[in-house]
Amino acid sequence: MLYLAAFLFSIGIIIVMVKRNAIMVLLGIELMLNASNLNFVAFNQQHGQQSDGHIFALFVIIVAVCEAAVGLAIVLRVYKYYNTSVPDEIADLKG
Amino acid sequence: MEKKLFDALVFLTLLAPLVSFFTLCCLPRNYIKIILSASIFLMLISTLSALVLLFNFWNGAIIPIHLNWFSIGTNSFTADLALSNRSLVMLALVAFISLLVHVFSIGYMGGDRDLKRYFAMLGFFTFCMQGIVLSDNLLLLFMFWELVGFSSYLLIGHRTIRPEAGRAAKKAFLLNRIGDAGFMVGLMMIWAIYETFSLTQILSTSTVHPWQTAASLCIFCGVIGKSAQFPLFTWLPDAMEGPTPVSALIHAATMVAAGVYLLVRLFHIFTEDALLVVAVTGMITTLIGAMAALSQHDIKKILAYSTISQLGLMVLAIGMGILDAALLHLFTHAFFKACLFLSAGLVTHSLHKAQKGQQHFDVQDIRNMGGLRKKMPTAFIAFLLSGASLAGIPFFSGFLSKEAILIALYMHNNILSWLMLVVIVSVSFLTVLYTFRMIWFIFFGEGRVIKPLKIEEPSWIMRLPVLILAFCSLWFLVSRNPFDFKGWMLTNENHHSDLLWITFISILWIVAAVLVSWYAFRKNPFKTHHILRKSFYIDEGLTAFFGTVTRISSRTTAFIDRSWIDKTIHGLVYAQVVVAHFTGWIDHVFVDGTVNGVARLAGLGGKITRSFQGGNIQLYIFWALFAIIIFIIWTLN
Repeated sequence: MLYLAAFLFSIGIIIVMVKRNAIMVLLGIELMLNASNLNFVAFNQQHGQQSDGHIFALFVIIVAVCEAAVGLAIVLRVYKYYNTSVPDEIADLKG
Repeated sequence: MEKKLFDALVFLTLLAPLVSFFTLCCLPRNYIKIILSASIFLMLISTLSALVLLFNFWNGAIIPIHLNWFSIGTNSFTADLALSNRSLVMLALVAFISLLVHVFSIGYMGGDRDLKRYFAMLGFFTFCMQGIVLSDNLLLLFMFWELVGFSSYLLIGHRTIRPEAGRAAKKAFLLNRIGDAGFMVGLMMIWAIYETFSLTQILSTSTVHPWQTAASLCIFCGVIGKSAQFPLFTWLPDAMEGPTPVSALIHAATMVAAGVYLLVRLFHIFTEDALLVVAVTGMITTLIGAMAALSQHDIKKILAYSTISQLGLMVLAIGMGILDAALLHLFTHAFFKACLFLSAGLVTHSLHKAQKGQQHFDVQDIRNMGGLRKKMPTAFIAFLLSGASLAGIPFFSGFLSKEAILIALYMHNNILSWLMLVVIVSVSFLTVLYTFRMIWFIFFGEGRVIKPLKIEEPSWIMRLPVLILAFCSLWFLVSRNPFDFKGWMLTNENHHSDLLWITFISILWIVAAVLVSWYAFRKNPFKTHHILRKSFYIDEGLTAFFGTVTRISSRTTAFIDRSWIDKTIHGLVYAQVVVAHFTGWIDHVFVDGTVNGVARLAGLGGKITRSFQGGNIQLYIFWALFAIIIFIIWTLN
């Protein structure tokens, strides 16, 4: 299970680093969050007397949902305003 | 109190003409009346104070005036002024003649375009001459000496529209420079011998230095130039291009007298040999001058050659050691020669006016004149009186001063002095001849060209100075007794005046000369010889000689210049260009290379550091991750 988590995390990081679209970047972040959730659960299975890790994973899922909602909303607004969802193309402040 | 008054008078005499010069320089040229009155007034002040000085301090104990000038190292130069009886006389003479010339010029130069410059320069000229008379420092004296030359240059060339005037001015200036070059060398020698320029100190030294002959001869070179002695006298006849009053001033008081005065002043440094040269130069000059004067046709040129002859006489006398008599002759000569020039000016002025609108002829040529006795009585009387004085006729001042020289020469009683005596006697014969030749030609007989003209005498402002000067040509200027030259100027006991038979013989001699001139010039008036007319071709000879020398030397120097100096310079230039190219290459490759390399290095660094912040978000994340990984690896180990 830990290997799966590490694999997911790596996939997420690579997506974040390679993909240029903001939605894909958010997806990668979701993957990394889920990988960390898996880690929480796995470590709690192996070492935990109480179910702290599971609770923590639940909180992370809630926060991830909020984060995804806010992120997607921003992406939507940006897309409406700039007609693109690629952050690198939004270069108004670049000198 | 007396000393203060004395100083004030001396400075008043000296500086009033200078003030006149500066005032006239500042005045606008149209204010002719103010210009004239200012310059006359200032000259009057100068003359009056000079006369007061003369009458009050004659034979008095006179204290020199010390003025510090400048110092080089430990040698301090003073601009001392010193007054002796001689300089008092000269001072009064210069101021007085200059005043009369100023007054005469009002009439003579009336209507001239450059009246302002003319009067300013007259004042300056007078100032310079008074400076020569007063200064007790040879360097100061030399400065005034040069200034006299400069101002005479401007005055001779006053008529700027005449090219001859410019040429004559240049000639006078250059010939004076030749003499002054010698004077300058003499000054250096004097400094080397005495280590001072103070005349009082120089003259009080009694030891004879081996170089003294050379030094005194060099000084005499300056005198030859300034006092128009052989062989540099040729500028003086040419200087007649200047206005006639200027000629009068130059001949009587300011310029040519400077040389004679300097000789008298520096007499004590002249050695026996040098004095012999001086005497012989004077002898040649007086002979050439008298003979040349005999055959000129231009009235002013006759007078010029007569001045040369008289100056030669003075220099001869000084060379024979007869100082006081020479100075007396300078004094009397100043009056009668100024009078001769000014009355010649009267004549030419009137003729010039009369010929206006009539036929044109040379107003200075005596062959055109004649019979002016009745038409211009003032000029006639003045010319007759001053001419008689020049000829040395008894009852006139010239007679007395010539007698003084003759008798002093007679007292020497050696072979040289007998030779000089013969020369002077024959020159005085010639003097009588040319003087009366002029008088016969101008004032007697029939008017030749000018007969039909209506001639009027000029205004009183021109006639008055001439009459005053003519009056001063009489004997009482020298002494009360018309046959005794021992008066207020000559009191020296060495001069014997009791040799009545010499006086008697000279009177007979002069009467004979007058008669000869009557027969020679009243009967067949026009014969002259070209050798005499050209004054023995000395001018042409000098021109040819110096011209050839100059041409040869200029060709040689041009050759040297072209073949050696130019080539050396070219070689140097090539070497310089090669060196410049080499240094340019070094600059380009090494210096510029280093600077550009540093700049490129900095640019590279900038590019590298800039590349981290290229605005690419993925790259930021990559680097952040990279850093975190490194951090983790580092913490885990």
